[in-house]
Amino acid sequence: MRRSKKNTEKYIALSAEGKKFEFRDILNGEVKVNNKTQKIKFRQNNGLNFIIYKNKKYLVDILEKDQNKYEIIVNGIGHSFTVESPFSYRRKKFLEKSKQNSKTESITAPMPGKIVDVLVENHAEINKGEPIIILEAMKMQNEILSHVSGTIKNIHVKKNENVMKDDLILEVEK
Amino acid sequence: MDVNGKQFKRFLERYDILAEQNSKEKAKKQHAKGKLTANERIQLLLDENTFEEVDAFVKASQTASDFGAAGNDNYGDGVIIGHGKIRGRLVFVYAQDFTVMGGSLGLVHATKIAKIQDMALKMGAPIIGLIDSGGARIQEGIASLAGYAGIFHRNVHSSGVIPQISSIMGPAAGGAVYSPSLTDFIFMTNETSYMFVTGPNVVKEVLNEEVTFEELGGANVHSTKSGVAHFIYEDEENTLRGIRKLMSYLPANNIENPPVREFNCEQPDYEEKLRDLVPDEPDKPYDVKDVIQLIVDTDSFFEVAKYYAANIVVGFARMKGKTIGIIANQPKVLAGVLDINSSNKGARFIRFCDSFNIPLLTLEDVPGFLPGTGQEHEGIIRHGAKLLYAYSDATVPKITVILRKSYGGAYCVMNSKNLGGDFNFAWPTAEIAVMGPEGAVSILYRKKLAEAEDPVLMKKELAKKYRDEIANPYVADEKGYIDEVIDPAITRRKLLSAFEALENKHVNSPSRKHGNIPL
Amino acid sequence: MKITKLLIANRGEIAVRIIKTANKLGIKTCCIKTSHEPKAHYLSLADEIIDFTDIVSDVPEFLDVDRIIEAAVAHKVDAIHPGYGFLAESPYFAQRCDDEGITFVGPSADAIYKMGNKTIAKQIATKHKVPLLQGSHGNVSNFDEAIQIADKIGYPVILKAASGGGGRGMRIVEKASQMEKMFKLASNEAEKAFNDPSVFIEKYVRNPRHIEFQIFGDKQGNIIHLGERECSIQRKHQKLIEECPSPALSPELREEMGAEAISIADAVGYYSAGTVEFLLDEDKKFYFMEMNTRIQVEHPVTEEVTGLDLIEMQIKVAEGDSLPIKQEDVQLNGWAMELRINAEDVQAGFSPSLGVVHKVIYPTGPGIRVDTGMYDDSVISPNFDSMVAKLIVHADTREEVIKTLKNALNSFWIRGVKTTVPFHKYVLSHKKFMKGDINTSFIEKELDAFYETDQDEIMLAAFLASYDFAKELENESADDVNFEKGKEINPWVLNKRLKSL
Repeated sequence: MRRSKKNTEKYIALSAEGKKFEFRDILNGEVKVNNKTQKIKFRQNNGLNFIIYKNKKYLVDILEKDQNKYEIIVNGIGHSFTVESPFSYRRKKFLEKSKQNSKTESITAPMPGKIVDVLVENHAEINKGEPIIILEAMKMQNEILSHVSGTIKNIHVKKNENVMKDDLILEVEK
Repeated sequence: MDVNGKQFKRFLERYDILAEQNSKEKAKKQHAKGKLTANERIQLLLDENTFEEVDAFVKASQTASDFGAAGNDNYGDGVIIGHGKIRGRLVFVYAQDFTVMGGSLGLVHATKIAKIQDMALKMGAPIIGLIDSGGARIQEGIASLAGYAGIFHRNVHSSGVIPQISSIMGPAAGGAVYSPSLTDFIFMTNETSYMFVTGPNVVKEVLNEEVTFEELGGANVHSTKSGVAHFIYEDEENTLRGIRKLMSYLPANNIENPPVREFNCEQPDYEEKLRDLVPDEPDKPYDVKDVIQLIVDTDSFFEVAKYYAANIVVGFARMKGKTIGIIANQPKVLAGVLDINSSNKGARFIRFCDSFNIPLLTLEDVPGFLPGTGQEHEGIIRHGAKLLYAYSDATVPKITVILRKSYGGAYCVMNSKNLGGDFNFAWPTAEIAVMGPEGAVSILYRKKLAEAEDPVLMKKELAKKYRDEIANPYVADEKGYIDEVIDPAITRRKLLSAFEALENKHVNSPSRKHGNIPL
Repeated sequence: MKITKLLIANRGEIAVRIIKTANKLGIKTCCIKTSHEPKAHYLSLADEIIDFTDIVSDVPEFLDVDRIIEAAVAHKVDAIHPGYGFLAESPYFAQRCDDEGITFVGPSADAIYKMGNKTIAKQIATKHKVPLLQGSHGNVSNFDEAIQIADKIGYPVILKAASGGGGRGMRIVEKASQMEKMFKLASNEAEKAFNDPSVFIEKYVRNPRHIEFQIFGDKQGNIIHLGERECSIQRKHQKLIEECPSPALSPELREEMGAEAISIADAVGYYSAGTVEFLLDEDKKFYFMEMNTRIQVEHPVTEEVTGLDLIEMQIKVAEGDSLPIKQEDVQLNGWAMELRINAEDVQAGFSPSLGVVHKVIYPTGPGIRVDTGMYDDSVISPNFDSMVAKLIVHADTREEVIKTLKNALNSFWIRGVKTTVPFHKYVLSHKKFMKGDINTSFIEKELDAFYETDQDEIMLAAFLASYDFAKELENESADDVNFEKGKEINPWVLNKRLKSL
């Protein structure tokens, strides 16, 4: 046996929205939904990957994966999942509990583009929903709003700077 | 032998005590903190049923009992040592047990680690340390410090002979951090592992600075800011999986060659997509990892220090199953410029590969060294020299492909022909020159530009002319500084045959104790 | 004068669309190759290519009037079709064509100028007693003045770019305190997009429908209308779904609005294709908004319902032919709807989804038409508009159109970028949309989401992630790493290696 001992019978997939799915013996291509076992089949066609489930065809794609973090596309809609083992799932829950009192929140660029204007200053108070920067993407100027209330801590961008998606714009202290 | 006799009874009793020591309650305590026990970690790291423990029943020295160390009557003294197999190959392992006196390092504990280090070196087999320790055992005083020094000495002794890997699975404080930092690779587990020389309490006392464990020396800090950790994983199971994965690229020692993966690789030798990856505009970023993915065996690229100095990408990959080391400038981050951190990151990786007979592939797209007082005052000269030294000193097969920019000093550094590159290829998009077109024309046409009606436009036009006439791969090719300008689509095929030709490369170095790398 | 060689000064689906008609008419086509997408599909269809990839300039290729004219002369084209966008609405460009003796496929420079400047357009409308919204007479120079005018006509008001269109440089102001910020935004955006920061103000009508009339004129002075298009499904003033006819118009109202549209066009001696936009409020009162002096993105719905080829008519009119039909010949048959497929991430607030289209398969079937310039390996670049395809369906009734569209969306497959397809699926199933009860605030007010969350899809995503993870674990523990091979070293190198240690 040239593999380490692992619990490979059960996997837990957690969505970014907190949905939880459990799969047993997943490589068999079966899922249990409401105690009924359903077959899931993979089809490759013309460079596209499909899943056949309950006689329906779904276009699927793995957009990104980083260790156990997945970004999956099903019929054009993206879903973020982390895949956990029973142990790592418990660990995750434990760490979440102990982390709930974190103080700073980051605001990141929702799309790639150019910073046209920074509307806030360091140490300023900001309320949820107030605009913080104007970002130009695809020739449209978009106001980026704060999703938290608090004090602006660090502004990481400057006017006329280009940002990529998910680049840190600033941090807000709650 | 009488299995009911006194001797055998004692034999069994000891196992009962050991079992109690590793009781479920203790495991629960670790689990509650999101951590596994030392035993569980070893089981996950090694192939099933291959671990053989050594010195399980050794006890702490009872001499230094002043501060209550006498209460430590545990078997093993807080560390499990032994050997086992990863994918069928022998490795030596030690794992500190935080449930025994916080995994603190006393004399016996240290002696055990030293013992396994010695064995690994004698056998020419890799050694893996799973670290989870509060640091030196204060009660044992100087003996514990001496223990550390002994471990460090062995780390250095083994360096470049056998791969040494450390995985920080909990705290590693004070002296404990130096053993990992002397090893080849450090793994950390996010949110449950820390490394620091002085802890938050001391920082508070001395500097009156409030800092959390995570902020001071968490996995995130070390994998992004300090560059101490090479791999970061979300949980312990994945961390241990990561070590197994890394081991599959490495040879057991510096005599062997790396292992070969035998599988049918789908990566085509001819890939037209490569022609479109590098944008024609010299200032447009792209992800060099996309280039790597299309050259090496499918899904074989295993990146090292992914989040640190991301303007250079380093990592292992396979070509037709054989391990290579890749160093690539990353145009997506800071235009792929060389700075202090990226020079250090690249240099250390090259040193590792050279030590263990892993051929090097350099993918070059570098605008130069990062200018500015910040970099100059911090010693970019000194640090850039490390990269230069590492490339030049390496005797493994060295191949460079210039994808786009290759300017000035950075051209020389990135494994240029005269620095000892065995094969230097360039794509037609390559721009090789003393400096970038914009900079060059500013100097060459300073006067003309100053008098121009529209200097911006004129500069652009001159830059274009410069690019057409000077900053292209053909001038270098015709002068022999490039072996061949190749169609990007055939890069993989070219590299495969080049690496094959270089397989038995050997360079006789002048005899010396060791070189003096500009540290 | 017959056109023999046509330069298409545009890209993407509209270039493809124009080439199609040009081929039908036996006209040679000429397209512009840019460095942003040197392998674009439209280039493969053109008879001749003008290479702009080597050009060093800060002006984007399709905005560079002088260079295009220069190339047109060099390539000896006798006509230019600008498609839609900047060039189609540049009087300077039309004039330059004229000066060089090149036929501009579109209206006169004078008509473009007058209608392109919204202030002048409004003056013309006022003169011809076409109903208008109250607002500033001319441009507003600063926000203080803007506040004064807004106080007079009452909030809400809308700020618009004087030389704009397509939603850029537009901002709604609900109260005086927002004026400074909004004025700055609108003006900035106008400057960026149209090189002209001037904005004007008008009364903002809540929940109006966007109804536009396709008009067509010839150089002989005949002008007809080809019915309306309803484009009320908009997000941030960008149209997403268009249909013809509108569920809101009675034949009488159609006739009335059509006549007003013609009178506006007539006032500037309009020829070629044009679109007169109106707002229709909840009491069926309509207001003239602006006139677009070009072919519109959404022209296919009119083509489907009228059975006409609008591009062909544009070319014929440009050649000097008179219109082939009279107003009474215009028949609206059945219903047509167009969905704009944009490379946008609906889940990330419609932000651009850039990258390479690895594979795309479009739906086919009776009544289904796809206008697109995006095929396998197309690159979605930030330099261009995000609209990549238009899915158009024509059928007898609106219900049938919606049904066919839904089926079509279910066989539209794309890998590589995200598109607005999930959004369209969601809207097509919305009760109010199905009833035709829509207005320009529909997306903002009626939609609680931009796409449907299907429980099976989520489960399958979770399954795929777990499956891939399990598979990778399986692969990693596979017995295919051969350590023995690492020990098979050629004696030549082994010997030397040992000696040098």
